[in-house]
Amino acid sequence: MATLETQQLDAIVADRRRLLTLGGAALAGLAVTGAARAFAQSTVTDADILNFALNLEYLEAQYYTYASTGTSLTAAGGSTGSGTAGTVTIKPNPKVPFTDPTIASYAMEVATEERKHVAFLQSALGSAAVSMPNIDLLNSFNGLAVAAGVGPSFDPFAGDLNFLLGSFIFEDVGVTAYHGAAALLSSKTYLDAAAGIMAVEAYHAGLIRTVLYGMNAANPALGINGIASKIAAARASLDGTGNDDIGLGTETVSLNSSSSNYTAATIVDADSNSLAFARTTTQVLAIVYAGGSGMGGFFPSGLNGNIK
Amino acid sequence: MEKIDRLITRALSRRKFLVGAGAAGAAALTTGALVAGCGGSADTGMVSAPPGPVPAPFTDTDILNFALNLEYLEAEFYLRAATGTGLSDADAGTGAGAVTGGAQVTFPTAALQQYAVEIAQDELNHVRFLRQALGSAAVARPVIDLTNSFNAVAMAAGIGSSFNPFADANSFLVGAFVFEDVGVTAYHGAASLLSSKTYLTAAAGILAVEAYHAAEIRTLIYGMSVSTGVATYLNDANDISAVRASLGGGNETPISATTIVAADTTNAIAFDRTTDQVLHIVYASGAGKVNKGGFFPNGLNGNINTTTA
Repeated sequence: MATLETQQLDAIVADRRRLLTLGGAALAGLAVTGAARAFAQSTVTDADILNFALNLEYLEAQYYTYASTGTSLTAAGGSTGSGTAGTVTIKPNPKVPFTDPTIASYAMEVATEERKHVAFLQSALGSAAVSMPNIDLLNSFNGLAVAAGVGPSFDPFAGDLNFLLGSFIFEDVGVTAYHGAAALLSSKTYLDAAAGIMAVEAYHAGLIRTVLYGMNAANPALGINGIASKIAAARASLDGTGNDDIGLGTETVSLNSSSSNYTAATIVDADSNSLAFARTTTQVLAIVYAGGSGMGGFFPSGLNGNIK
Repeated sequence: MEKIDRLITRALSRRKFLVGAGAAGAAALTTGALVAGCGGSADTGMVSAPPGPVPAPFTDTDILNFALNLEYLEAEFYLRAATGTGLSDADAGTGAGAVTGGAQVTFPTAALQQYAVEIAQDELNHVRFLRQALGSAAVARPVIDLTNSFNAVAMAAGIGSSFNPFADANSFLVGAFVFEDVGVTAYHGAASLLSSKTYLTAAAGILAVEAYHAAEIRTLIYGMSVSTGVATYLNDANDISAVRASLGGGNETPISATTIVAADTTNAIAFDRTTDQVLHIVYASGAGKVNKGGFFPNGLNGNINTTTA
């Protein structure tokens, strides 16, 4: 693992210029499409929003289920929907060869919870629930690694650390997606459920970030916080803001004094008021499509449903 | 008349906060505040009315002030643990209540110190954000007890006759555990009660941050039990979880390798609690009509401060 991380650190330096170029291109693309999409959002229904969330849950459920068991959502007892479901592009034998049983347990827990979110949303939507779209868990990570400047490729199923970094890509995005969607929901019942799912995604994010931060503290030479921060920067770049994502590291704060003389961790991904960030559906799409137009990244054929 | 003036001031300060929200929404909120305010007495509000089939129509201001009380408590706990002193007078409000207990914790590693400092800054930011959002309607810090409260919780949990969460880092994590999951359930329960979409989004953002904190604390407590082979503090936390369940209507998940997240087992949706259930926990007092105790010896400030049952 150390070898892999060393390679990734080398690649960070080598790929910095490429990252900047890609980030700039993604920004330019968003500037053109942003306005039209934002207007369209005012007419979305609750079902549209829940289906948007369902697509994201399909992605997370497949990722964690494959990582923890080596098999698919359906093999684990879940459903990909009543219509024609898409396929999952993934490497052979993706079960992560966990060396730390605690991290294996964490993976199992998150997998179970993401499958429950899929089932819950399918049940809430009833016949309106969309089927799983095509999902890519292979080329997507490679593309994001390049965009984030962490190397020419990235295999999140290679081991404990890579699995955690792969998870890191998703969880904070899930929080911002549900946070952004909450105020759009008309139904108080759905709102309450969405807030509860958002909290669980934040628990997941807090879990993943705490474990990564601890690993970094135990072995700074791995440069884990640096990699996580590159991923966070890439998300902020892809969504067009450049500043709505905090990676792992430290910052100097004042607390109750008048001078900044305390060092804080950045486990929580939040703004200067310590409120979690929120993203519009357009911003979330830009991230999961890895900057692609209407499709790409984790969803090579786009999302199913009206928000895509 | 004085009461009407106060309500109008309150409504106006809220309208000021709603810059960017629809005018119709702001007007509806103003009306709601007036109607709800006229239904209750000046100081106790709707909460003290006899229990009825319909939940008390709390205003957004009531709910945000309820949250502000909880943030005062968390901020005092973490600031004292991280620095040895609590909120400044400016952050505590005019006529703020006294705080008993709390001391700087000696952390054995830089990482643990950094976790404590981060959460302290977050909770301080929440206090400041809510005070600014509420404007002149913001309540001051109530009287807070960080000594006898923890002792009472420890006794209820069966983990000893006293408990000092500032004694060392492990104890600090268990002390932090007392609060964070409760914060999640409180904000989750309150989210759908809020009328203003602006407040809703802000509350959801705080909810998410409390969940980050909760997961962090739970992960550290579990990780500590694995790395040291000593389950004492993990067991203490889970005993406290059982006490919260007893006081606060269930809604608890003990910490284990496969349950870092506290959520319902059917849908993996985080729990929520009513304001009554949250009050029972922070007052460290079960069923019945209670208006003070535990962490708040004189009760919460604001209209939501008494349980209906």
